[in-house]
Amino acid sequence: MSDTDFQSVITPPPADQLVLETRNLNFYYGTHQSLFGVSMPVKRNGITALIGPSGCGKSTLLRTMNRIYDLYPGQRAEGEILVDGENILGPKVDVTSLRARVGMVFQKPTPFPMSIYDNVAFGVKLYHKKSKSQMDEVVEKALRRAALWDEVKDKLTKSGLSLSGGQQQRLCVARGIAVEPEILLLDEPASALDPISTAKLEDTLEELKRDLTIIIVTHNLQQAARLSDYTGFMYLGKMVEYGPTEELFVKPKVERTSDYIGGRFG
Amino acid sequence: MDRALRRKIANQAFVVICTGAALVALAALALIMFSLLTKGVGGVDLMLFTADTPAPDSPGGLRNAIIGSILMCGVAMMIAVVIGVLAGTWLAEIGGNTPYGHVVRFLNDVLLSAPSILIGLFVYWWVVVPMGGFSGWAGAIALGILATPIVTRTTEDILNLQPNALREAGMALGASQWVTVRSIIWKAAGAGMLTGGLLGFARISGETAPLLFTALNNQFLSFDMSKPFASLPGAIYPFAMSPYETWNTLAWAGALLITLAVLGVNILGRWLARDKDHK
Amino acid sequence: MSLQSARHPDPVDPIFRGLAFAAATTLLLTLGGLIVALMIGGWPAISKFGFGFLTSSTWNPVTEVYGAAGPIVGTLITAVLSLAIALPIAVCVSVFLTQYCPKQIAQPVSTAIELLAGIPSIVYGMWGLFVFAPWFARTVQLPILTSLDPESFWGKLLAGVPNGANIFTASIVLAIMILPYMSAVFRELFRSIPPQVREAAFGLGCTSYEVVGSVLIPYVKKGMIGVVMLGFGRALGETMAVTFIIGNSHRFPDSLFASGSTLASTIANEFNEASGVHLASLIALGLVLFLITFTVLAIARALLSSQRY
Repeated sequence: MSDTDFQSVITPPPADQLVLETRNLNFYYGTHQSLFGVSMPVKRNGITALIGPSGCGKSTLLRTMNRIYDLYPGQRAEGEILVDGENILGPKVDVTSLRARVGMVFQKPTPFPMSIYDNVAFGVKLYHKKSKSQMDEVVEKALRRAALWDEVKDKLTKSGLSLSGGQQQRLCVARGIAVEPEILLLDEPASALDPISTAKLEDTLEELKRDLTIIIVTHNLQQAARLSDYTGFMYLGKMVEYGPTEELFVKPKVERTSDYIGGRFG
Repeated sequence: MDRALRRKIANQAFVVICTGAALVALAALALIMFSLLTKGVGGVDLMLFTADTPAPDSPGGLRNAIIGSILMCGVAMMIAVVIGVLAGTWLAEIGGNTPYGHVVRFLNDVLLSAPSILIGLFVYWWVVVPMGGFSGWAGAIALGILATPIVTRTTEDILNLQPNALREAGMALGASQWVTVRSIIWKAAGAGMLTGGLLGFARISGETAPLLFTALNNQFLSFDMSKPFASLPGAIYPFAMSPYETWNTLAWAGALLITLAVLGVNILGRWLARDKDHK
Repeated sequence: MSLQSARHPDPVDPIFRGLAFAAATTLLLTLGGLIVALMIGGWPAISKFGFGFLTSSTWNPVTEVYGAAGPIVGTLITAVLSLAIALPIAVCVSVFLTQYCPKQIAQPVSTAIELLAGIPSIVYGMWGLFVFAPWFARTVQLPILTSLDPESFWGKLLAGVPNGANIFTASIVLAIMILPYMSAVFRELFRSIPPQVREAAFGLGCTSYEVVGSVLIPYVKKGMIGVVMLGFGRALGETMAVTFIIGNSHRFPDSLFASGSTLASTIANEFNEASGVHLASLIALGLVLFLITFTVLAIARALLSSQRY
């Protein structure tokens, strides 16, 4: 192994299009370090994919971006994460309003134990007082954007748990975007879904990316290639290569990236 | 902004209330243990184990009650283990999915949480009255009936955890169900079943109510279980209710002994269960 | 050669299966025997007093007239009151242990609480009698008694002999007794919730209060109701923790600080001196207690078994 194995080649998007940027980010689970100086500039409105073998830190990186790791004492991040130019790792940051701006969808669907309608309205109610008719609009809009409206419009009062796995996941997307975040983080959202549900979810993301920044962790290379505008390849807690998806997939600049994409390891 | 502030304040109030309530609850429980310890330790001496329950205002110990409790609990556990293990095995291995199995499981749950004093009434009616008097046997049966549902429940739960491949492997060798259960399933589930037995033992060793009108009490050391029989809870109850200070002191010492025994058995049971998880 | 002859049927097998079946049936017979004993044993009282047994609050061994209303009401009041005290505290304790407490402390504390749930109830009863009741009489009852107008609403509600042995103190002791059990099971329920659900709620920007109140508790609602019913069942049937401190009077309780009795405490106190109709009445009390607890337990089991999570 030579030093070039751990070189990091970042091709950033135009500076005026940045919405989120991690700078020299280190992350620790207790004493164990799992991210090493990760820098990742994310373009506004579009899909950015994170790929890499399991355990390479993709999910960890994603979980720093809305500080969900705060829930677990002992986990801490060092460095900077700028959202609209503001460092969200700072001590003065209000994490609840941060999480309203940076939403998250998890690997397994996580509908709350309430009706479909209330699932979507839940997050909105946290921040805004709305009349019934206003809330109806918000819920319908979110469900439409998540491409779920036609399937559930006749059973909004049914439990969110009564939906199929794919529908539950799109319900979680609807719940996330109803709060109108700038950024939506998705942690392997399709890993528990069948191919048809996955395709529907991907269509939804394609629709959403026009006015929403989406960062998605996936272990499915085709999915990353199909969906994303930018891709980051991570390995052993480091960002090995980051750049426009086409460039990264067609002519990667780092040997390890081409090895991974070519299926030689991982 | 107002809304955000309100949410923040509500949250902080909630955290404070939860923490406060938890501290109050823990303090109350700690207080009880503290009382038990300070009031009980004073009565613990050699005589506690060598002398029998005394007359009011004279020195004495709890030897007869300790021995009586051990004997009755021992017999009770023999009853409970034989019936409970077999019944739990039947539920897990043989008939648990039949309609009758569902009925038995439900009734076991009912017995598991039925008030213990009712078990006392049951044994009074079916054992004490026909036998013509209070006896150690009646007390042991009452305690056994209390422990049986616990053993049944844990046995069934533990056996259900055993992988089906184990059963199939046994059967595939041509072993009968009896041999499979005895030499494979029971063996694999041994530690868990032992834990169940210990939990049952811990539960009955402090039970007072079902002994009041089954074993009654006995002031003297006795090994004849067909007569009224002494037990620790049976001695503690009248001693605690009495106006005599020496008796009160003995009651506290007895309560401390029981508590320590129950805690010890529970800890042992947990330790065994944990050992098994680590394997 | 057929397959059958190659197998040697184990002669022990049918015996084993028969014994196991018999053991399972023993459980059925025990419960059946319990019901039969309570019905036959209580019949003289039931046939003599009829429905009035449930509604009359006279309990007089001299005139041989018995009515169960006092103990029934006492049982229900103490159980409901103790649950009203223990439930919110148990929720707080379990939330504290699963959400706010550092792991290094939460684990030993949780273990301690689980162990305390196994302490014999007679210990709680003795603590109530020797420590809590005198303290309560001195620091709560006496000041109230001297400062309140006995004719006012509060004066009537809190009237009673200031010896600390009353329905209220019995309820508190009961509450402390069921607290470890309920806290431990609530904690288990909270821990059974997949961590992603909690993360998802936090991910929307919920405060921890909103996560617990709007997502986690609804998530295990059915299980919690089941646990509450089980705790209620324990409080209803508890004998020793109550008998020490409730004051054992059979009149209909007319204030919170009045002495009273429960079904179980009455049986425990009087059984050995009773005979004839008195004995039958006590067994009939047992039947009432059985019916109440059976109903509660059946509801609890139904709720717990339908908990999907």
